[in-house]
Formats: sequence, structure tokens, C-alpha cells
Amino acid sequence: MKKKSLTPYFFVGPHLILFIVFILLPTLYGIYASFTQWNLINDPVWVGLANYKTILFDAESTFYTQFMNGLKNTLIFVVLSVPILIVIPLMIAVSLEHKKVKMKNVIQSILYIPGLISISAAALIWSLIFNKQLGITNNVFGSETVWAANQPYAWLIIIVITVWGGVGGNMIIYRASISGVSKDLYESAEMDGAGPVRRFSSITLPSIRFPLIYTFVMTTAGAFNVFGQPLMMTDGGPRQSTTVLMMYIRQLAFGHGESIAGMASAMAVLLGLVILVISALQYYVMNRNAS
Amino acid sequence: MKKKMGVSLILALLAVAVLGGCGNGDKNTITFWTPLTGDDGAYMDQLVKDYNATNPEYKVKHVITSDMYTKISTVLNSGKGVPDLSIIHADRVPSFVKQGVLEPMTAVMQAQPELKEDNYLPQAWATGNVEGTQYTVPLDIHSNAMYYNKNLLKKYNAESFLDDDVVTIDEMLSLQGKLDDGDYVVNDALLGWVVLAQIQNLGGDIQQDGKPAVNTEAMKQAFTEIKKVADAGLMTPFGEDGYLMFQAGNVLFSTDGTWSSTAHAAVDGLDFGVTNIYSTSADTYTNRASSHLFSMLKNEKRTDEKEQAIGQFLEFIRQHSIEWAKAGQIVASKQVIESPDYNNYIQSFFTSNEKEIESLYIYTYEYYPYVAEAVDTYAADIVRGNVDIDETLATMQKFVEDKIAEGNSAAK
Repeated sequence: MKKKSLTPYFFVGPHLILFIVFILLPTLYGIYASFTQWNLINDPVWVGLANYKTILFDAESTFYTQFMNGLKNTLIFVVLSVPILIVIPLMIAVSLEHKKVKMKNVIQSILYIPGLISISAAALIWSLIFNKQLGITNNVFGSETVWAANQPYAWLIIIVITVWGGVGGNMIIYRASISGVSKDLYESAEMDGAGPVRRFSSITLPSIRFPLIYTFVMTTAGAFNVFGQPLMMTDGGPRQSTTVLMMYIRQLAFGHGESIAGMASAMAVLLGLVILVISALQYYVMNRNAS
Repeated sequence: MKKKMGVSLILALLAVAVLGGCGNGDKNTITFWTPLTGDDGAYMDQLVKDYNATNPEYKVKHVITSDMYTKISTVLNSGKGVPDLSIIHADRVPSFVKQGVLEPMTAVMQAQPELKEDNYLPQAWATGNVEGTQYTVPLDIHSNAMYYNKNLLKKYNAESFLDDDVVTIDEMLSLQGKLDDGDYVVNDALLGWVVLAQIQNLGGDIQQDGKPAVNTEAMKQAFTEIKKVADAGLMTPFGEDGYLMFQAGNVLFSTDGTWSSTAHAAVDGLDFGVTNIYSTSADTYTNRASSHLFSMLKNEKRTDEKEQAIGQFLEFIRQHSIEWAKAGQIVASKQVIESPDYNNYIQSFFTSNEKEIESLYIYTYEYYPYVAEAVDTYAADIVRGNVDIDETLATMQKFVEDKIAEGNSAAK
């Protein structure tokens, strides 16, 4: 009997060990580091809440400016990208359900593949597509501006590459959950005279409530951690208007010269808190509305 | 079932043991880390291969390490897997020495008497010397360099610019209004380095009594002078890839690095030469440079015999680093740069006479990396007139001071 009760731990064990070693301990150490001044080489020096005070309240400080600007730009990215990353995949998933659409799996694959390409490779291709000399912006649209170096185009290209790479993942989830909705519901609704819009809002949406909440929360959390797209496409420019918080955090910890890892950790912890609070709020609000 | 689980458990433990064993190098191997992730890594591979072919007692294992400085801090913290030898950049030396993580080269130099100041380019050697102790042996100097398109110079009758080896901003401005549509005088590649060169040309510096000096008259003047070129419409447009435009044959001068010569040479139909970075004055010129330096990170496990062996390897490099010239770098060993073969390489221009050698300027200020970061972050916007220069210089000064303040208190 005793042996039997050990079995579950063997199944959970590997994940638990990996989680502790690669997630839990680094997170705890990161939180500890945020209360210190640390250059990654010497021992961390405990400074209490000093880093947080500087970041949040010392308006004169470079770190305050960086954090506020980084958070603002990250929020802009979240607000611009998340709705698109929910609505477009949902629309595609619903339209793929239509009887007359052929080669559903091929279309699904084509849309999903960009998500498998590494962000740096994709960004290189896209920066050529948006290159003023070689790309479409000048030659097709006749635009005279360099998109990566001028707003609002800089945000536009970051969003385009994000959507291009991110549509597939959510679409697969929506397709899977829509296919789980009973066909009887649609048929009876049709007999009762419900149009496509009504069927979508009264049957599809409520039926895929949980996948919707899940993708909404996960996409938002992912968007807060944005890093590769602005780094590769605009390098944070113009005038640091697309420098997101993760870029500042990385620069501080692993940039030029001596590392400022304590301050970077404090910014990372604050970003983590923002994500936590917003995710919890989203979950709470959506779940309440749904029930 | 139970048996199977036992087997997989053992396998898992084995895997952990094997992976854990990584990094414990062979006793007779010199583990050699470099950050050479580009094409230059292959040339270093070749040098190491050539050295190992001489059948030394201690063979060298070259490990190209991306994110090397992050990994260095990790291994220094844990004390495990510290490489025997590594290549670091000149600007890392002051902070590494301050943090006490570099082993002096004293023993190595005693074993190999030719590893001495006289045998290397002076600034490359000096950059590894902190308060009389030599911490590094140089491999090269890699510098900001200005390439010119020979055909375009001829077309615009600008060949005379090169006569005295210094292209001045005034000379460049003289081309205003004379260029065809789509042609430009200069690009903005490595603009931050160009700014740092002008500071030297103007007699300024980035520090005063150990304190960072970013918001200075010299800095302002450096930006104002370069801005004139941009304002006159002679600089490649903001945000466009000026480096590619030079390779496409639309730009007279490209201010990139010595290492780019190999890439330029690979472009069909691009007939180019190299000269000094343009200057604010006809009397002086500066090419802001850095250096790849061999160094030993502190490691108690490194035996005296191994240090001797490292000396042998460095002596081999001193004699044979002509291979390194292929990567476009200015080799630091005088024996190599004085050899006739070296003249086949375009970068030999920078060691062709004393004045040229002097023009290669390596900043050794302790907080240079922060200053450079500030300059790189804001240079383009200042030069393009996107921001107010006085306000931005103040921001840059604060940027550097805040970063230094963080590091200083941590060192206490």
C-alpha cells in the first residue's frame, strides 16, 4: 500500500524538479536580488526598498524615467496587440467552420507556421519588407518615410509582425473548442430562425467561454513580456518610443559595463506584479460576466 | 513496471551526472573562451588549430561563447567552470580589475620574455595595465574606420579630400548641392564612435578627475559639428541603413569598423579604400578604437604549469596572428604588422606610420561603457535635430551618473 502511494510522485516529480530548479528558485532569487545592489559578480548588498523607491518615486532618476517610459510603451503594445490577437484568430476560426471553406487544414497550417519561426529570423524578413528602399512601403504605397524610424509606423510594423506570428496559436485553440460545440445547437437555432450573427453570439461565444478567458489572460501576459519585436524592428526608436520595459531591464542587467542587476530585478518584479494584477482582474471580470 | 521505472530513474540520474560533469575540462587542456560569434570566430579557430598542430603539452580548446560576459559572471559566482583563458574587450578591464576578477599576467610574462610592451602596439598594451600591473596581453585593435567609394570620389571631384589623410567636416560640406539625387556624402554607421572621436579632436574628454563628463562644451561642439553634415542633407536619411547604402554605391564615405572591410570586399563592383574618420579640424584626426585582450579570470584551480602553457600559446599568437588580419582587425603584435605580408591587408593603413598608430584611441575611463551607452542611445536623435541638444546632454550626464551611483554603492 505504501509503495502505491509513491507512484503519483514519480509522475509529478520530473515536472516538479524542473519547476523548482528553473522557475521557483530563480524567481525567489530574483525577488531577493530586487532588494539588493548587485553587479552579478560581487556579493549582493542588501538595500531594502531603495530600488523600488527610486523606480517609483524619484522622478529625477534615470531609472524612474526608464521604468515609466518602458511601462508606458509596454502598455501601448498590450492595448494595441491583445484585442487583435483575440479577434482575428476568433474570426478565422469561425469562418473556417463554414461548410463551403475547402482545405481547412492547409489554411490552418499556413496561418500557424509563422508562430514556429524564430522572432529574429522573422524580424529580418519583415524589416526588409518594410525597408524604404527595397520593400513595399515606398515601392507599393509610395511612402516617403522610413517606417521603423517614425511614429505611428514604428508601432504599426511591430504590431504587424506580432499579429503575423501570433494568430496561429490562439486560432488553433478556438478551432478546437468550436468543434467541440454540439452541432444540434446550431441546427435547432437555425430552425428557430437565428442568423449567423445571432448563432455566433448566442451559441459559439458562450460555449467557448473558458478557452476565451484562457487565451485572453495568456495573450495579455505574453504581450507584457514583449521584447524581440521592438528590439529587432525598431531598436526601441524613434526617441525611445518603442523601448519596452523588458528592453530596459535587459540593458541594465546585461548591457554595457558593470551590471545593475538589483535595479533590473526590481523592475522585473514590478512588471511581474502588474501582469499578476491584470491577469487576476481579467479572469475575475470575464468569469463573473460569463456566469 | 517497477523495473522499468527503476531503469529510467537510473538513466535520469546518469544524465544528471553526465551533464553535471560538463565544464570540468581535461587537466591538460586550456579552455579558452571568446565572444567571437561572427566570422572572426573561424579565424580564431584556425589559429588555435595551428597551435594545437605544434603538439603542445597543453592543447587549447576554443569555445565561442555568446553572451560571454553574462556567463563569466555566472561562473565567477559559482567558482565552477571558469575558463583558463578568455578574450575580453578593452572597456571591461577597469571594472574587472576593480572587482578583483582578473589574474595578473606577471607569471606568464616572466615565462615568455617576448610578451612585453615593446612588441605590441602601445595603446593595446597599455589598456591592460592598471596601476603598474599588466592584466592582459593584446590580440588586436579594432577601430572605427572610414571607407570611401573610389568611383564616387572621382565623380564628384573629391579625391583631393584624401590628400592629407584627414577628411574634414568643411570638406564634406563643400559638396552641398553638388550631389545627384539619392547620393550622400556620409552614412551614420557607428555614429556614437564618430562622436567619441570628435571629442578627442576637440581636445575634450569624457571624464574629469574620475567623474563622468558628458554634458561638456566639447561634447556639445562634437554634436554640433556632425549635425551640420546632417542638416545640409549630406548624411544618409534618418532610420535608413546607411551601411547598405554605401555598399550599394550611393554614399561616398562609410564610418564603420575595420572588420567591415571583408564584407565590403565581398560586394561586386564596390571599389573602396580606407581612411581616417572625418574630423572637425584639418590638423588632427582620431579613430575611436577598442581591443581584444587575452586575460585570465581568477581561478584557484589554474596550475602554474597551465599558466606557463598559456604563455606558450600567447607567444605563438604573437608570432602567427597574421591569420587574424584576415578578419580585418589591426593585429597588435608588432612582429606581424611589420611583416611584408601584412601590407596586403587594407587595415595596414592604420599602422603605416606613427601618426596613424597614435590616431587609434582607446578610452580607458572606468565608466566608459556607460558613457558610450549614453552616447549611442541619444546620438542619432541629437544629430538629426529630433531633440534639444542642451536638454539631452543633461539627460545623458544624469544617465551616466545614476548608473555609476548604483555600481559604487554595491562595491562597498
